[in-house]
Amino acid sequence: MLTRKFSIILFILFSINSIGQSQIFVSGKVSGKNEKGIQTALVGATLRWQNSKSGEITDPDGFFKIKKEADNHQLIISITGYKSDTLMVHSTDFIEVVLKESNTYLDAVTVRGSASVMDKLSPIQTEIITSSALKKAACCNLSESFETNSSVSVSYSDAITGSKQIQLLGLSGNYVQMNTENIPNIRGLNTTFGLNYTPGTWINSIDISKGVGSVINGYEAMTGAINVELVKPESSDKLFINSYLNSQGRAELNVQAADTLSKKWSVALLTHISSQIAKIDGNSDQFLDVPLYKQLNLINRWKYSGEKFATQFGIKYLTENRVGGQISFNPKTDQFTNKSYGFDSDTKRLEVFAKLALLFPSQPYQGLGLIINALNHNNESYFGFKKYTGAEKSIYSNLIYQNIIGNTNHTYKLGSSLLLDNYHEFFIDSVYKRNEVVPGIFAEYIYTFPEKITIMLGNRIDFHNLYGNRMTPRVHFKYDINENSQLRINWGKGWRMPNTVAENFGMFVNSRSVSITEVIKPEESINYGASFSQEYQLYGKKGSLILDFYKTSFQNQLVTDMENAGKVLFYNLKGKSFANSFQAELNYNPAERFDLKLAYRLFDVKNDFTTYNGETVFLAKQFVNKDRLLFNAAYATKWNKWKYDFTWQWNGKRRIPNPAQDHLHTKDSPLFFAPAFSNINAQVTKVYKNWEFYLGGENLGNFKQKNPIMGANDPFGATFDASMVWGPVAGRVIYSGLRWKLSDL
Amino acid sequence: MTTLKTIFILLFTVNFIFAGDTPQVIKIKTSAVCGMCKRKIEKNLAYEKGIEDVNLDIPSKILTVSYNPKKTNSATIKKIVNNTGYDADEMAATPEAYEKLSSCCKKELPVHN
Repeated sequence: MLTRKFSIILFILFSINSIGQSQIFVSGKVSGKNEKGIQTALVGATLRWQNSKSGEITDPDGFFKIKKEADNHQLIISITGYKSDTLMVHSTDFIEVVLKESNTYLDAVTVRGSASVMDKLSPIQTEIITSSALKKAACCNLSESFETNSSVSVSYSDAITGSKQIQLLGLSGNYVQMNTENIPNIRGLNTTFGLNYTPGTWINSIDISKGVGSVINGYEAMTGAINVELVKPESSDKLFINSYLNSQGRAELNVQAADTLSKKWSVALLTHISSQIAKIDGNSDQFLDVPLYKQLNLINRWKYSGEKFATQFGIKYLTENRVGGQISFNPKTDQFTNKSYGFDSDTKRLEVFAKLALLFPSQPYQGLGLIINALNHNNESYFGFKKYTGAEKSIYSNLIYQNIIGNTNHTYKLGSSLLLDNYHEFFIDSVYKRNEVVPGIFAEYIYTFPEKITIMLGNRIDFHNLYGNRMTPRVHFKYDINENSQLRINWGKGWRMPNTVAENFGMFVNSRSVSITEVIKPEESINYGASFSQEYQLYGKKGSLILDFYKTSFQNQLVTDMENAGKVLFYNLKGKSFANSFQAELNYNPAERFDLKLAYRLFDVKNDFTTYNGETVFLAKQFVNKDRLLFNAAYATKWNKWKYDFTWQWNGKRRIPNPAQDHLHTKDSPLFFAPAFSNINAQVTKVYKNWEFYLGGENLGNFKQKNPIMGANDPFGATFDASMVWGPVAGRVIYSGLRWKLSDL
Repeated sequence: MTTLKTIFILLFTVNFIFAGDTPQVIKIKTSAVCGMCKRKIEKNLAYEKGIEDVNLDIPSKILTVSYNPKKTNSATIKKIVNNTGYDADEMAATPEAYEKLSSCCKKELPVHN
């Protein structure tokens, strides 16, 4: 009886449903709730039925009306910046949906332990090194911040100058766009020592993206982009002091102060002084293993954040002197004499920057931003008898407008940039002058099909006064296979103008004759690649696997040719040049606060060299090792009171130029290789309420390249060469330091 | 390598010395309402002298602390909770600390995520 009644009701209900199908609408309102609990109506939120392709979006007051689909009760509501929601809709009652704000930094990102974090949302493969990861490797500046990272490695440039180069995708850091808070930083003359000029304690986080970057920041990101975020005035401790001392006689002191002046204004002053005090010659070749240096580095920054307008501006100043070479060298008495060999370099850099942003509180997806940076960089150096001076004046500005088309599934950025670069360099007997004026325009469009597909199309045109109009198209694609696995594919162009001398200081500490055989043209490449990341659970614990492959092929490249004894040649690429990079990284957290990482990297980097008799030989790039293994283990006790970190790296053998005297390279010349070696770093940190103490070691295996300086006993003779460096020059280093903070005054 | 081993052994030894003594446990009713409150109270207490373990149960607002009675006492612990901005049993939060709490941590709010 009851069942019959029930089926009649059901029948009636269904009939109504099918009769009225075309007219039934569901309406409602979507609002968002931020972390402070404040609700605002959301415009542009997408509403669609499960398994349905079309949808509706909310109007400026957050209201929507969507046609009810038969047998489709699951309504999905999504908007960028908020957590998506799915509702079961069985009636036409007015629906009120409140979406929670998703703090993109926390939710869009899976925290793989504390070591590194993958950006799940970005269509570009991006890894974020957090400040807690940076603290695990205490020393000391940007060049030393990649110790536990499997993608970026630091290469040794030479045995005298102490200049450092990073490597990404098998190529030098010159091809990576290095920004500080989206302002180009390590480029131009700053390439020489720039990695040493960002102190570690100033860094809040580092984003490393592989493959061509976004067109917004310029045309120079050929193999990747690294963006450094400095500590923020509004969220920093009132006072922070870090001191560091190592067993080789290097000392550092950072004093950082920050204050929130009002609800809108905040200010920070970051200071750094460091010095290599002791003369170290562990291998008794009468040459300093590390140059003596003194560095003073300051930044003062201000921040204003209002509801409709925000700005940041500041000033940076740096001065550094470094002296390397023979122990007996005294720059005052021995400069340009053959009493003893010396290297001396003085750098001064002054920079001012400003960022302005117009915000639209009711349309959070809309914005207008302007970045301006001006700098003056001067360097005076000499390498024995070779003299160099370099001056750079540069102004960079970038204007970006951001908005959506209809809803936040379609966003775009438009803008224009202007770069003014003035270089005046003198080296040995030649003057190199260049005045670059580069206005540019760019556009980037991002299509998002929530939780499934992201497509980013970008292009820019730059009108270069010296090298003509150049187009830089780039495409990024991300496919979310499911919640735990993503596939990314990208393709794009990139180019840059090299500064031959400033980028190759390490090539001049030898008796080789230097020749730049022709006018150097811009370097140009196409980079493409794919990456796959998968999160997994094993024995109830989280882990991840990341595989990636990238290829960079050059249309033009500045070739550094050391293949012939007694010579270093610089010329434009004649023939082909490419870099293939494959990497597999496995992460696993076997227990809480315990992270393990194992990574393997394979490089195949080759380019054509032109021999002395005009032949072309295709050789593996000098000093680049094919294989590398990295293992990292990190453990912290509850509340991070004790932190332990251990890294082991193995670097395979690498081709080096034939070191034989009078060697002239030909097609049939045998190849020379430097042996494989490994490196161990470890650190222990003890954390107290307001201070931390750390103790660690680098190169704990004490591996040293034997005789890193050829002909060290006769530095003015024909065989002297300190550029044939492929491994550590200095041995084991033990360091310790203190960090002290004062959160409230 | 030997240097490294010595360092590790030394540090672990130090670690053990810091522990020791039979802990005492107290339960305190707080005015915590969310995960952020939990993290704040736990972290602030964890680094104080004599504290061995802390856990705050959000639904019941009960804070369980085990501590070394020779180094600290329940009044000190409650004071720390007050100075973090929260009530601890009969003792009310320090007004300045309470003012500074972000709006999601105010005690008039219901317990939430």
